[in-house]
Amino acid sequence: MDDQKSNHHNNKSIDLDDSPPFVRIHSHAEIGSSEERAVLELEDERLNSCDSITRKKHPFKETSSSDICHMKCKNSLWNSIKIVIFSSKLNILMVFGPAAIIVHKTTGYHGMVFLLSLLGIIPLAERLGYATEQLASFTGPTVGGLLNATFGNATELIISIFALRNGMIRVVQQSLLGSILSNMLLVLGCAFFSGGLVIMKREQVFNKAAAGVNSGLLLMSVMGLLFPAVLHSTRTELHFGKSELALSRFSSCVMLFAYAAFLYFQLRSSKKLYDMESKTETSDDDEAPEISMWEAIVWLSILTTWIAVLSEYLVDAIEGASTALKIPVAFISVVLLPIVGNAAEHAGAIMFAMKDKLDISLGVAIGSSTQIAMFGIPFCVIIAWIMGQPMDLNFQLFETATLFLTVIVVAFMLQEGTSNYFKGLMLILCYLIVAASFFVHVDLDSVVDKPHKNGE
Amino acid sequence: MDYKLQVRVQSHLEQMGSLDDRSMGDLDDECLYSAEMDAQKTQSTDSNEQVSLSSSLPVAGNKMIRNGVYKSIKTVVFSNKLNLLMPFGPLAILVHKMTAHNGWVFFLSLLGITPLAERLGYATEQLAFYTGPTVGGLLNATFGNATELIISIYALKSGMIRVVQLSLLGSILSNMLLVLGCAFFCGGLVYPGKEQAFSKATAVVNSGLLLMAVMGLLFPAVLYYTHTERHAGKSELALSRFSSCIMLLAYAAYLVFQLKSQKDLYVPIGEEGSQNEQNANDDDDEAPEISKWESIIWLAIMTAWISILSDYLVDAMQGASEAWGVPISFISVILLPIIGNAAEHASAIMFAMKNKLDISLGVAIGSSTQISMFGIPFCVVIGWMMGQEMDLNFQLFETATLFITVIVVAFFLQEGTSNYFKGLMLILCYLIVAASFFVHEDTSSSGESKQPKT
Repeated sequence: MDDQKSNHHNNKSIDLDDSPPFVRIHSHAEIGSSEERAVLELEDERLNSCDSITRKKHPFKETSSSDICHMKCKNSLWNSIKIVIFSSKLNILMVFGPAAIIVHKTTGYHGMVFLLSLLGIIPLAERLGYATEQLASFTGPTVGGLLNATFGNATELIISIFALRNGMIRVVQQSLLGSILSNMLLVLGCAFFSGGLVIMKREQVFNKAAAGVNSGLLLMSVMGLLFPAVLHSTRTELHFGKSELALSRFSSCVMLFAYAAFLYFQLRSSKKLYDMESKTETSDDDEAPEISMWEAIVWLSILTTWIAVLSEYLVDAIEGASTALKIPVAFISVVLLPIVGNAAEHAGAIMFAMKDKLDISLGVAIGSSTQIAMFGIPFCVIIAWIMGQPMDLNFQLFETATLFLTVIVVAFMLQEGTSNYFKGLMLILCYLIVAASFFVHVDLDSVVDKPHKNGE
Repeated sequence: MDYKLQVRVQSHLEQMGSLDDRSMGDLDDECLYSAEMDAQKTQSTDSNEQVSLSSSLPVAGNKMIRNGVYKSIKTVVFSNKLNLLMPFGPLAILVHKMTAHNGWVFFLSLLGITPLAERLGYATEQLAFYTGPTVGGLLNATFGNATELIISIYALKSGMIRVVQLSLLGSILSNMLLVLGCAFFCGGLVYPGKEQAFSKATAVVNSGLLLMAVMGLLFPAVLYYTHTERHAGKSELALSRFSSCIMLLAYAAYLVFQLKSQKDLYVPIGEEGSQNEQNANDDDDEAPEISKWESIIWLAIMTAWISILSDYLVDAMQGASEAWGVPISFISVILLPIIGNAAEHASAIMFAMKNKLDISLGVAIGSSTQISMFGIPFCVVIGWMMGQEMDLNFQLFETATLFITVIVVAFFLQEGTSNYFKGLMLILCYLIVAASFFVHEDTSSSGESKQPKT
């Protein structure tokens, strides 16, 4: 069973998707002991009540079609809702979603709308990840991997697409950048730190090769972002305004191609690993997922729709919230949005690190960064191209320099293959520095922020 | 005999056998000899003896010498399929005299230089057989990128300082990203099962030198960009010249270091190699293919030819850029190095496919190190002597490009293994770099005017 657990990297990597539900149930049982830990305010996303473990035997019996099917369908619907909605304690926050809409319609107070919709999105994002995993266990490892790779950061992408539609290009760039930064520094740092504190005697080890490949991809994405920014800041583009856009679109296609090759490459090597290891496993029949395939698809669409609805309110309220809360829009996009949006992943990574499964934490943190950098950002550029919005890869010099430095620092820290609490602490403190810089950073391109003249 | 050269000879002999299996690109590998060469090789060793005998028999000497010259020409000029491109050289001169259509002159002279560059490398290797490992290593180190240096010196003479900077930079970029990426990619495709390994130590030393070169280039550029130099215009030049001397000193120290450690390293490899290689009984065939004086003469001839063609090339560059509608920076950074390095490119790929990744790495990264630590400072010093104001300020965009590229490559190399995905990533990075230069307008070169030649 430990072999299976070590196979489960995260919901981001292409993986042996027969095992995740089994692993998750295991980690559910282990979490019994985690209740004593008062580290996190938010519970781990995989915390299920004990009832669901017995309930997992039901799904296969419920899909039979007969006269009593109607009643059974209602039962299965109730069970399904129970499993998906009521099982995670995080879902208490779900009520904030409708609350946000109500507040928007009644008062139009942007600050509250923003906060409430943000809180409302968190459980939906987590459930979306859950539904994706469930669906991935039905499809083979290939499609499952692709699903994880695409939907892994679906929340950020949905928010970005809505922002693009409103023409808030800077918000898109900054929120994606902030997502990368928070994953690389904050989530990874917390994971290293907590893991190092729990396992004091030795250094935790992780897979150097995987970390190396991810770091290489991150460096390549930095390259893709650097050239348009430097072109713009040195004012050396051939056709002013058009060159960077063309270059950005070309680079985005190249980066998407590289990401596709990366998926292919990862699948090939993990298939070989899986073939080698499956001979030693004694897998039981308890790999059955908790909900059926059609339920997973239906829930996937329901959750995506809900997230889209809330994102729209969120995006509309950003500028008003910034004025109301007196925080720069840049800070909201780069620091606040990603921290809150990534909260569930954050908790998951910390938990896995404390269980000495640093590879999974790394997969969650760095894999997510790589996904956003090599897939999310170019994808948004292409979507903007289709929409007719002029989004390019020129993230302005300050943001690009920040990303560059961060990638170098993290790549350097990862290359050793070991971790301890001090490395984690360093990463967290680096994130504090980055956040502080953005707190006092005026985004000259942003429509809302204006430099404060009177020292307000 | 020198074991380093023994390794190389044996690798030559290996490729001769596997000639038919390969179906590479248009350009054959520079070490590829036709099957006739096997026969010719024994002939030439005979002719060596004949030539050495002939020097003591002046009566029949003339005829023997003519035979020797004919065989020499056959060996050097006609043996390599790449030399089909040689006629383009004189053709370029003809076109220049008749039509003066710069686009064509540029293109044809570029094609004409390619085989000459390859033959120059060949002649250098042959000469290195005769000198000891020390001088041989020095020869390789200096003449390895002779083509780029010759082109650069001509451009300097014409006052096209930007072109020099850009072409040297492009040579480094194409070696580090394109050649290395193709080698990794093709090697990984041929050996999909496992990752190919290479000597980490060499790669790390080269990466360190490249980073040092970037440091040398970064400070003048940043000084200029932040407008914080003490005497505007003069400070960067003085700093550049000083840094160039330091970089040349570092490169000399690197050569000493490499030669000394290789002397110790190569003894066991040589012994091992002679047991494992199938051509172990070819010990007597270490003799090079042409005699020492022949190689010196051919070296001189090739260098002279390359100089002539470079002259036309540099003259035609401005006109070609206007004729084709492509920025000069793109021509200098991307087009010139790709075509100029074509032969090295093909050989690196071929060595990678034969699982000799260390040699590929030597070709690619070694060449980059050579240009950055020797070629660029050397051009600065030559410019100093000529009175041209070449400095190490490559402008911010180019310097940033070099910086990020060196970091990416150093990171990829430090692991010591390669697979096709790493190669693909490097190639895609090169695409991004090339695309950036395609839309990059070089503001500082628009003010430059080429000094007219007599």
